[in-house]
Amino acid sequence: MIIEKEEILPGIYRIAFEVPLSFIDEAQPGRFIQLEVSHDSFPVTRRPFTISSTSGNSVEIIFEVVGRGTEILAETDEGRSLRLLGPLGCGYRLNPGKWLLIGGGLGAAGFPGLAARTECDLLLLGASSRDKLLTIPGLETAAITEDGSSGRNGLITDLLETVLWDSFGSIALCGPVPMMKAVIEMMPLQARANTQVSAEARMGCGWGACEGCSVPKAGGGFLKCCSDGPVFPADSIDWERWEGIH
Amino acid sequence: MDKPYKWTFWNREFDSPILLASGTAGFGLELMEQGFLCGAAAVISKATTLAPREGNPPPRIVETRFGLLNSIGLANPGVDEVLKTLLPQAVDLPCPLIINVAGDTVEDFPAVIERLEESPVPFGYEVNVSCPNVAAGGIAFGASPEIVERISILARSVSSRPFSVKLTPNEGSIVESAIAAEAGGADAVTVCNTFLGMKMDWRTGKAPLKRNVGGYSSPALLPLTVARVFKTSSAISIPVLASGGVNRAEDILELIAAGAAMVQVGTWLMRRPDAARELRDSMVSLLEDSP
Repeated sequence: MIIEKEEILPGIYRIAFEVPLSFIDEAQPGRFIQLEVSHDSFPVTRRPFTISSTSGNSVEIIFEVVGRGTEILAETDEGRSLRLLGPLGCGYRLNPGKWLLIGGGLGAAGFPGLAARTECDLLLLGASSRDKLLTIPGLETAAITEDGSSGRNGLITDLLETVLWDSFGSIALCGPVPMMKAVIEMMPLQARANTQVSAEARMGCGWGACEGCSVPKAGGGFLKCCSDGPVFPADSIDWERWEGIH
Repeated sequence: MDKPYKWTFWNREFDSPILLASGTAGFGLELMEQGFLCGAAAVISKATTLAPREGNPPPRIVETRFGLLNSIGLANPGVDEVLKTLLPQAVDLPCPLIINVAGDTVEDFPAVIERLEESPVPFGYEVNVSCPNVAAGGIAFGASPEIVERISILARSVSSRPFSVKLTPNEGSIVESAIAAEAGGADAVTVCNTFLGMKMDWRTGKAPLKRNVGGYSSPALLPLTVARVFKTSSAISIPVLASGGVNRAEDILELIAAGAAMVQVGTWLMRRPDAARELRDSMVSLLEDSP
């Protein structure tokens, strides 16, 4: 059941669902849910959302209205019940040590839960403008926007020039594919090896059967975003092929 | 129908007429783990080919207003790996497994089946003649009743198990193909496969699917399946396995009334992994409530 809905930025919503406690136990950061946004037959498939955070017996997602599925969800009132499948997929490996989180736009949606479970030292956020810039309270944050409407003016890669990569044992990266690829290319090899990427793909089933959500695998072939991921070691992805798709 | 409700198919009795359609249930292993195979008579596996196939480049699925286009490209690890890794795990499935077989050439079909005969696991096979025939310039095998009969004869010659021929709605006459499959020795026909569809982005002039076209599935296709099931089942005496557009218990009963022996659920399973139990239970309630 939807217990809270808020438009946190124009066209960007935060929704909290009431879920069983058994769900919360399994809702590690980076895992996702499949929501049936409509009681009608259409849209036919569910919509996948990364778990943003959990508390008590509620789970939160943050999403932007990008199509009909998210439009329906944004119009759904508090108190309504929706079929929710999950938690699905493989989340972040919650390594000890200091973490650096790098998010592009809505890519930061999964970071609140991750930051709550790790020793997160720094958050780097990039977005096209302040209307798309998520904020995560309580974290040391550096932000940059393409139009300069919040923080520095520029791209997320501009923030990386001063990063002391050696001081982080783990790096989490999530955002549009070209942005993630640009970030990966700026990293020293060791930092890249410590990076976990949260991927996104058009999804069918969400539980490994349909092979609809492929992500190009380093060395050839494909990974299943839903069940091999959605969180992958950065080195397991063929970035050239993945960028080609986008 | 009388209680307890039973459906007999390939000399076996089932308490459900529901088959999980190829491509939407993997090899049933993920669903088994979650206890979601309850209510399914059998699982039909993803297509298995002679050599491994990595499948088409993404995006492989695109949703349209009233349905789903897919272009997976028969991604599968190949028959050797299926025999080595997947079938040994499938021994634990609570229901039988039918292996869907695909190929690039007519000879691929008996070659794959011959290998699968080594395993005790398959309950039967589903021969996918909707895939492109490389030797015929990519036209589906199923477009020609002669080729459908030829593949059926070859499958029959190597298979000790029953098999269904999964017909295509896109090319040729589905009734003639069904008659050809029966003449070739098939034990059922699957009516039918996804419909050729395409989406265009009018702003860019490009199709979102890398191969442009894909297989279209939707609850809105049900009447198209009902018509094809009705026509084929009137023309042949082997069972017709209906496939296409099912997402309610009423749909299953409607297809059975039109002549289907068993009914497949595919795209809806992706939305409801426990669809088999849900649909079976609500179908039984409908039967109990009807005079």
